[in-house]
Amino acid sequence: MGLSAPVVVSPEWLEARLESVTPVDVRPERAYADLGHVPGAVNVPAERFREPGRVAAGTLPDWETFSGLLERAGIGPDDALVAYDDEGGPLAARLLLTAATFGHRGPLYLLDGGLDGWRASYPLSSDPPALEPTSYEVEPPADSPLVGREAVEAAVDTDTVIVDTRTRAEFEASHVPSAVGLDWEALLDEEGWLKPRADLEHLLESRGLVPDRRVILYCNTARRLSHTFVVLAHLGFDDLAYYEGSLTDWVRARAPAWDPLELAGQVRAHADDGIEGLVDACGDDVLSRLKLVGLYHQKQPGYFMLRTKVPGGILTSEQARVIGRVASEFACAPERYGASRQNPIFGDAYLDLTTRQDVQMHWIRLGDVPEIWDRYEAVGLTTLQACGNSVRNVVSCPAAGLDPEETLDVRPQVETISERFLGDPVYGNLPRKLKVSVTGCHENCARAQINDLAFTPAVDGDRRGFAVHVGGGLSDGPRLASDLGVFVEPEQVPAVVAATAEVFKTYGSYLDTAVNRLRYLVEELGVERFREELERAVPFSFDPAGEAVTTSYRGDHVGVHDQADGRHYVGLAVPVGRLAGREFATLADLADAYGAGELRLTPNQNALLPHVGAADLEPLLAEPLLERYSPTPGPFTRGIVTCTGHEFCSYGVIETKNRAVGWARSLDAWAERCGLDEREVIRLHLSGCSASCAQPQLGDVGLRGEIYRDDHRTTAAVDVGLGGDLGAGRFADWIAGRVPAEAAPEGIGRLVLAYEAERLADERFSEWVDRVPNDRLRGLLEGYGDAPESSTAEVR
Amino acid sequence: MSEDRSKRADEPRLPGVGGDPRESVGPVSDPDGKTWFRDLDEAVVETDRCIQCGTCVAACPSDSIGIEEATGRPTLVRMCTGCSRCWDFCPRSGLRYERIVDLVARDAGLPRHGRNEGADGADDSIIVGEPYAARARDRSEHAAGQDGGAVTALLAELLESGALDGALVARERADEPLRGEAFLATSRADLREAAGSVYTQTMQLGRLEETLEEAGLDASDARIALVGTPCVIEGAAALERYDWAGESEPIALTVALMCTRSFEHERLQQAVESHGVDPAAVEKLDVDAGVLYAVDADGEVVLEEPIGSFDTAALRGCLECSDFVGGAADISAGSVGSGEGSTTLVVRTERGRRAFERASAGLETAALAETGALERIADWNQRRALEALPRRFEPRGSVGITYEQHRAAYDGTDREPEALNPARVHQYEEWC
Repeated sequence: MGLSAPVVVSPEWLEARLESVTPVDVRPERAYADLGHVPGAVNVPAERFREPGRVAAGTLPDWETFSGLLERAGIGPDDALVAYDDEGGPLAARLLLTAATFGHRGPLYLLDGGLDGWRASYPLSSDPPALEPTSYEVEPPADSPLVGREAVEAAVDTDTVIVDTRTRAEFEASHVPSAVGLDWEALLDEEGWLKPRADLEHLLESRGLVPDRRVILYCNTARRLSHTFVVLAHLGFDDLAYYEGSLTDWVRARAPAWDPLELAGQVRAHADDGIEGLVDACGDDVLSRLKLVGLYHQKQPGYFMLRTKVPGGILTSEQARVIGRVASEFACAPERYGASRQNPIFGDAYLDLTTRQDVQMHWIRLGDVPEIWDRYEAVGLTTLQACGNSVRNVVSCPAAGLDPEETLDVRPQVETISERFLGDPVYGNLPRKLKVSVTGCHENCARAQINDLAFTPAVDGDRRGFAVHVGGGLSDGPRLASDLGVFVEPEQVPAVVAATAEVFKTYGSYLDTAVNRLRYLVEELGVERFREELERAVPFSFDPAGEAVTTSYRGDHVGVHDQADGRHYVGLAVPVGRLAGREFATLADLADAYGAGELRLTPNQNALLPHVGAADLEPLLAEPLLERYSPTPGPFTRGIVTCTGHEFCSYGVIETKNRAVGWARSLDAWAERCGLDEREVIRLHLSGCSASCAQPQLGDVGLRGEIYRDDHRTTAAVDVGLGGDLGAGRFADWIAGRVPAEAAPEGIGRLVLAYEAERLADERFSEWVDRVPNDRLRGLLEGYGDAPESSTAEVR
Repeated sequence: MSEDRSKRADEPRLPGVGGDPRESVGPVSDPDGKTWFRDLDEAVVETDRCIQCGTCVAACPSDSIGIEEATGRPTLVRMCTGCSRCWDFCPRSGLRYERIVDLVARDAGLPRHGRNEGADGADDSIIVGEPYAARARDRSEHAAGQDGGAVTALLAELLESGALDGALVARERADEPLRGEAFLATSRADLREAAGSVYTQTMQLGRLEETLEEAGLDASDARIALVGTPCVIEGAAALERYDWAGESEPIALTVALMCTRSFEHERLQQAVESHGVDPAAVEKLDVDAGVLYAVDADGEVVLEEPIGSFDTAALRGCLECSDFVGGAADISAGSVGSGEGSTTLVVRTERGRRAFERASAGLETAALAETGALERIADWNQRRALEALPRRFEPRGSVGITYEQHRAAYDGTDREPEALNPARVHQYEEWC
């Protein structure tokens, strides 16, 4: 039965059948309970069954939610339902459409005039009906009225009528091509009753809507279209469909406004008009779209963070010099923010190396962007798609092509992936960002498990290729990537990236940005299904998994290391990744003088100088700059990683860079006093908030900003996690929340000492953390319970 | 602190109630004490306990909490950074409001009136401060305001003397009958326009920043009087004590309007309608001696009903409040106890006393010897709160209530957290 004419019924009709049909009130529980309802009506609140939060299923609720709601309301699959609301009908219609989509067997009716219409002639009741829970089991109809974006695309400029049920103004502002506008309220008279049939038919005909044509309806949130759907069914239309993603989804997936090249052109055209001029010309949302060209509006109004994309972290010395000079010249704070005194430790005109091998700088003015881009283009640098919902900078092992042990030199793959997606509007606007990593060495340097899509080396007989992992990530829903169990050849890599982007676009939602990272889709579809979808989207079949050759996890590349060709690469620790623009230019000069004109960036916010001959090592190591950015730093300075923090980020709860540099320095001095400076590295990752930009889950000690309050005061604090170790496939466990920040270094010192005193031979920090009860770890951190003898050494 | 924390069970943080997909994918769970706006949303907003004071909006350091236009309640508008501050300052969850009231009273060190057996056995007085009967000297102000117009007169004097730059008050919205909105009055004329009580909440504290901006005042040096229900003042007092980023700096005076409950605007409109009265025709509402009066533009009483018949329109969260008088405020104002045509003022703090004295030119005042009526209603209100409050009432307890403590007390009651409809999680923004 479902939705077949007649569908819209009058209060008189309902009153005469109260014994045989089930009225369904979709208002909120409390309105239903407190303000009265149609006698005998059951309550199924609209807010419980409208669910735009799902990743793959659009805005329909999941089956369990919906059937559970109906079962608790005592509704059976063959019941005749008469739905009503007090908002003109769209929410009630939404219930009917949802039931029809799931395959409700009984007839479905909408009460004309809603609750107000009923109340005009008949009394309300406050008595809840006696409910008997039912078992609601139905089969979905063979021909579902629910269609996706692709069906709408296919219907553009065909006989199918695409109907926009939003207001006229909304329709005029934007609509799906070839759609007709039909404001849902035009079907109702002034008092909220359905207009007479003749009037309706006349109105519909004027839009080309006659019952034998196929009709696809959309609006914004699948509410208004439901009402029109029900009315059309009432009038005898039987080939009806609806597009739940609606205009929001369509616009995000299609609009030229999200084309990175187009945007870059707009920035160039309006750079001299200031932010107001750009906003006037390109719309209010232009500031958020600018991420696609590498620009983030920073906390201080009128200034931007500029992110430069460095695929695989590989720079020529010429490129590095340009970046350094751009930072010196343009990343300068204005007088009102303190100019060169803007930061007490770093001043201004500095740049930050990031965990995706990018370079970020702050205080960039819109007017300077074209000049910066010109200089970049001259040496082959770009900021396009460095941010935004696109394929982000491709991360790889910073020693690719240098490492004597590696299975594959992945530099060609990094380059092809980067070029394949650069400026391509089709992939410039994914549902969310897509982070890709490629590793050819055996030490997982590009952190496969925390990327959306990752390639790690594998061999199959004498073939060398990759294993593929999907759905990793950190933030507030950390997940280790799943191995798809396939083997791909190096030349197949770009196709796999494109296919992943396709699957993401097809199934990912543009509506719910919080939970639509690829990992949620992998979680929802399951690894098997995801692999099948991916295989359908690539022009070849997957071979079964080869033999994985990843043997360990290498945290960083600090120190002097041998290259395959007999030369050396020198990894320099850049504490928290921040250095002056002029220092970066000097590094480029050193690369020319002692290396082969190449500089690399690592996912630890450090730098690496390759191709140094044996004879050049000693003079290089004697360079004054290497005192500050040392290949042999203290263990804490070597392992420190932070995000931007409160200084520039409007989300940053606490300041990070200065704080962490200070901590690393005092902890290193303390380690020396305690005789712990033999330890190579202790990895401290400090994020200013819970967004995981400093990857706290990977640290021996992971920290994220919080705010502490007790009866007496409030102060900056950190959540503390311990034992992150990608080599063991393990994220740091949060063991204590809101530890006042000033107490953290000393607590970390006590933990490290206890580990040194108690560890078994070769026991790693993460293994020790695993073995020691959390209560004790917490006690060590917060300074109660038993601590080792030597813990009296103070961290100053 | 160390005592408590060392005893915590070796367990991850209690998961939220809503089945957030972000909680289900990973192997890692949050530490104890971590709270997100989502937790507040489920424990307070979704379960209809929100009293629309706006403290969460003011407390959020990343401006991630906005106000939903239709419901007038807090909602996430940008990424939540998990700083826990919205939770810590909400009088219906992480803020032990009776403790804030207690701390203000202790600091003030003013005489106490009346005695009441506190729930924890302490001899907590229910009215703290110096009570006065006051009225505006100006007759027209007296008539326009509620019960003596003393609040209007007090604020007007302070504005005109330059002691204040503005007063954040509530007035009725132009586009919707019986619904209030926050309004920053900067002149006597503004105050007169807003005079008279509004019986719905306006998220006032959360509008401080935007109303200052609209009025062209600089938040860093403006001096503002915050006038609101006791819960708004509790939130403000807590923010003043534990200020993080200067969010409470503009507040130079707090005035609490004595209150037993406030209403939800839509349900109030419907309730008035159900008595056959057009809400748009109601010029003014007044509650006196348990009776709600609605008066039209001609001063005609069009509705006179026992307040109990409006129960369904009341904010459910109000039942948990014992703070009828507004004990965290510098000055409290109400109608009970000072007779027809007068406002009862209770002056509590040093700041309140200075303001009261500075405004004396505009006020006729007399010390109030008899506070029995005030105590009786405060006492009744407290008993009602203790019945409704699922947690213990502890004026000497710690100012913070953790998520775990809240859940332990509220789970299994009709005020337990409700799973958030995913339709409302949808309001995040991309950030990195």
